[in-house]
Amino acid sequence: MEEEHGHGNKYGMVIDLDKCTGCGTCMVACAAENNLSVRPDESDKQHSITWMSLYKISNGKKFPDTEYSYFPRPCMHCNHHTPCVSVCPATATKIDFNTGIVSQIYARCIGCRYCMAACPYHARSFNWWDGYFPKGKGLERYLSPEVSPRMRGVVEKCSFCHHRLMRAKTKAYTENRRELEENEYITACAEACPVQAITFGDLNNPEHKVSKLAKSPYAFRLLERLGTEPKVYYLSTKDWVRKFADNYLPGEFKPVTSPKG
Amino acid sequence: MELNRRNFVKMLIGGAAGLQFTPLPWKLTDDIAIWTQNWSWLPVPQAGEFTLEKSVCTLCPGGCGIEVRKVDGRAVKIEGRTDYPVNPGGICPIGMGGLQLLYNKSIRFTGPMKRVGPRGSGIFKDISWEEASRMLTARISDLRKNGKPESVAAIDGNPGRSTMAMMVERFIKAIGSPNYIRIPSIEDTYRMSNIIMQGTEGPMAYDLENSDYVLSFGCGLLEGWGAPGRVFNAWGNWHEKSQKKNIRIVQVESRASNTASKADRWVAPRPGTEAALALGLAGVIIEKRLYDDEFINYNTFGFHDWKTADGTNHTGFKTMVLKNYSPAQTAEITGITPDRIISLAMDFIKAGAPIAIYGKGKGTLNGSLYECMAVQTLNALAGNINMPGGVIIHDPLPLNPLPAIKADAVTRRGLNRPRIDQAGSKRYPFSNSLVNNLTEAILKDSESPVDTLLVFSSNPAFTLPDHGRFEKALKKVPFIVSFSPFRDETANMADLILPDHTCLEKTNDIVWPTGLQYPMYGLARPVVEPVYDTRNMGDVIIGLAKRIGETTGASFPWESFEEVVKTRVMGLYNSGGGIVDYDGSAPAWKQQKQRGIIDQGYASFNDMWKKIKSGGMWYRPVHTYKNREGLFKTPTGKFEFFSTQVETAVYEYSKQVSRNKALKAFGIKEKGDMAFMPHYNPESAGKKETAYPLLMVPYEIINLCSNWIPGPPFLNKTLFDNELRGNDSFAEINPATASEYGLKENDRVIIKSQVGEIKVRISLFDGAMPGIVYVPSGFGHTAYDEFLKGKGVNPNDIIQAGKDPLSGQPVWWNTQVQLIKV
Repeated sequence: MEEEHGHGNKYGMVIDLDKCTGCGTCMVACAAENNLSVRPDESDKQHSITWMSLYKISNGKKFPDTEYSYFPRPCMHCNHHTPCVSVCPATATKIDFNTGIVSQIYARCIGCRYCMAACPYHARSFNWWDGYFPKGKGLERYLSPEVSPRMRGVVEKCSFCHHRLMRAKTKAYTENRRELEENEYITACAEACPVQAITFGDLNNPEHKVSKLAKSPYAFRLLERLGTEPKVYYLSTKDWVRKFADNYLPGEFKPVTSPKG
Repeated sequence: MELNRRNFVKMLIGGAAGLQFTPLPWKLTDDIAIWTQNWSWLPVPQAGEFTLEKSVCTLCPGGCGIEVRKVDGRAVKIEGRTDYPVNPGGICPIGMGGLQLLYNKSIRFTGPMKRVGPRGSGIFKDISWEEASRMLTARISDLRKNGKPESVAAIDGNPGRSTMAMMVERFIKAIGSPNYIRIPSIEDTYRMSNIIMQGTEGPMAYDLENSDYVLSFGCGLLEGWGAPGRVFNAWGNWHEKSQKKNIRIVQVESRASNTASKADRWVAPRPGTEAALALGLAGVIIEKRLYDDEFINYNTFGFHDWKTADGTNHTGFKTMVLKNYSPAQTAEITGITPDRIISLAMDFIKAGAPIAIYGKGKGTLNGSLYECMAVQTLNALAGNINMPGGVIIHDPLPLNPLPAIKADAVTRRGLNRPRIDQAGSKRYPFSNSLVNNLTEAILKDSESPVDTLLVFSSNPAFTLPDHGRFEKALKKVPFIVSFSPFRDETANMADLILPDHTCLEKTNDIVWPTGLQYPMYGLARPVVEPVYDTRNMGDVIIGLAKRIGETTGASFPWESFEEVVKTRVMGLYNSGGGIVDYDGSAPAWKQQKQRGIIDQGYASFNDMWKKIKSGGMWYRPVHTYKNREGLFKTPTGKFEFFSTQVETAVYEYSKQVSRNKALKAFGIKEKGDMAFMPHYNPESAGKKETAYPLLMVPYEIINLCSNWIPGPPFLNKTLFDNELRGNDSFAEINPATASEYGLKENDRVIIKSQVGEIKVRISLFDGAMPGIVYVPSGFGHTAYDEFLKGKGVNPNDIIQAGKDPLSGQPVWWNTQVQLIKV
């Protein structure tokens, strides 16, 4: 097996936290696109399922200098030593070196939740129950055939809307193309974000907006020092926001000074 | 072969080795995985042909463009439209989750029904449309026969200028009742403010996108104000790093909402003192003579002191503000330091294209009229009225008016009766609806003046402040009919249900999305076949009118609601110069500013109608800026700092009582000329009560439905666990206030007002002003299904609604409360 990829695509995402308003449209778009089931009690965050989560952070100052910001968090699709992939005993989660997407194959998953323990980002959720679609309520009528509803006992997570890649590729092939245009394949959250905070594209393609944004001096990733090379980048001009990305010892955090970009 | 130990072991080993060569174990493991994962109760979504349908979302008055993805006729996803001028691509989380409202059978009425259980129990029996229509029309015909058509009343939550609202109003009037009562919203505050200060009937049009300094007084820009898709898009553009723009957003609000947190500057005055802050800023601008001289001198009335023909001296806005709202005085009222007031005023007036905007959260409910007017004075001082990046004055959308209703003697007599809510009377001359007065009128007499109450697109038993009183009033009304598609709290009180379609199933229009700066008409069309046995409310009204017959029926000569819409849209065609498509190359707000010539792109009315029906839009991004000739239609023909109309209204009313009593009846505390100018009313900041030392302020968030629409369950995923946990919702209070009361995070408390009490948990929130309890609006449904029912509490339960001066609308933004630890 190819260990690292140099060629091929490396899909990734850049989320501008200065733009993000914490409205949650990405979460709803994701849930609607990927047939996430909603249980009667979603406030139990240990058992509820979200592929895209939102974290609210505060600058910790007192009123009236308090400021809040948000971190939308999909699966990071770690590119290096992908923690979940390396621990899965059932090969139910894999990284595709042609796309960079970390997949989750429900039919293979044995529900051991080792991947959940391994994931540094809490990006994975376990189905403690079958999807909640009570008979006669009609909730199953809006389910999309592109994503299979999950059953109890399996782990699920963000797939970078892999089915959208399939859809875009199929369309390209019928038009006799082998390469996708920049915005032909984007995730549901990126498409839905009403402030255009999420940019999606190929990090290997220098022409794509994501690869330019990822090079911004304001760009950073979560827990970067673990060396997992997440493919989700964040942008923020605010030091206090960037500081949340990792656990820094006193004096360790380096603020961005006189950025070039 | 003898079966001994040796052979047995041999066989075992041989068998185990042999198994390795058969596919059986692998096949079995695979099968076990399949068997244990395919349960009959797990839905398997059917595949089919993929189609895309374009329409407009009508869940709120914003009217964003949406595209619905369908598979074999089933709607599976809603997405924002990039080819729609209001919201290029984005929509809000509520619109995004709209399919759950379409299909969820347990929150919808699946057909006409009549009540069989006690009121409020939600127990209904299916009936036919024929029977339902007969029940209602027989009752109305009887009332008409008995000469009491005015005892039919309607409560309508359809957006103000929409064709649907017009149909409801027409129906009520054609029956012969003046009692068409609208649910209060921020649009009312805008409408009255525009009439009083500018004499204009057009909507409030804020040119946010062309502005470079947005000073927002309480407008929940990121909470869902206006057309959320539009405001969010603007927000994204303002914060685009690749473009070097120097745009500043300032939020005036007591709580660190998303807008306040994300704004460049957050100013937190005491809630209810926003008017004083606006006037304080005006004072700084006036004192430093930084206002637009030309506009003030030529286009305004009441700025300087003046003397009337009879020799009376009048105080102008300038003197009034300098005397009452110096930075020190303003600081005293608002709690903002004088330095900050001065720097804020200077930043505002020195910006290239500043705009001061007014709102209260999403704008689901009304604002304070004088406060809105006070904010508008800042725009006048900056001279940005009818300027790019300012407040633009438009005529209302040129839709065709419908022909006058036909009236027989019964109708005429009924229409001459006074309105139950007194709106538009001498006492409330500027308001067109006062639902709070309706409640009181019903409760006052032993017999309800309303015999039959029709409820359209609204859920007042949930959304109205102090809805407890409203529910009490409902219990007194003999017959209630709900046209709601949803099993909401109000519908559960109804005797008869004539369910409307939900937004994706019907033709409906959006007449000028709230706050938009160019004329815009959106037309939603059915994107799916009706899922249940419901009917478009517009069509049902036509049917009912025809069944009543006489002049009521004759007032509705149309075959369908769509025909009415078409008739009105003809006016857009006749006015000319509109566009019916949008390619995204140049945003409409940019086109309007650049004053290009537009190509309307249609040949005939039928061509235009076809295009509007499929594209869902008509808009006209052309405008004559600066021209102020004949722009203001006040009695003085100018922008009035001193409202001659309010003065006249007080004078007219004081013919019945004394002047002081007239002012008191209007709710105005000031006695002199100040009464007719925007001013701060100390009562709007809440009365001091020692038993109730804290102030409760309700707040709205973007991912919670505080209006009449049930929240799609997907939204529950977006709520944090310090917003909702189990069935408990939270009140936010400042850690300092909490420690005064010995409260910790998650503690359970009772919030008690003079009206009632609610139980919540405490969330310590640094962004909360000390001394204030913030409770989110949108929780606490007693209707609907397991996703909404019983989750959290509704602050409306305990709001003690006062009356806003002049408008008479409810003051819902402050209630004195006490906290009791449980």
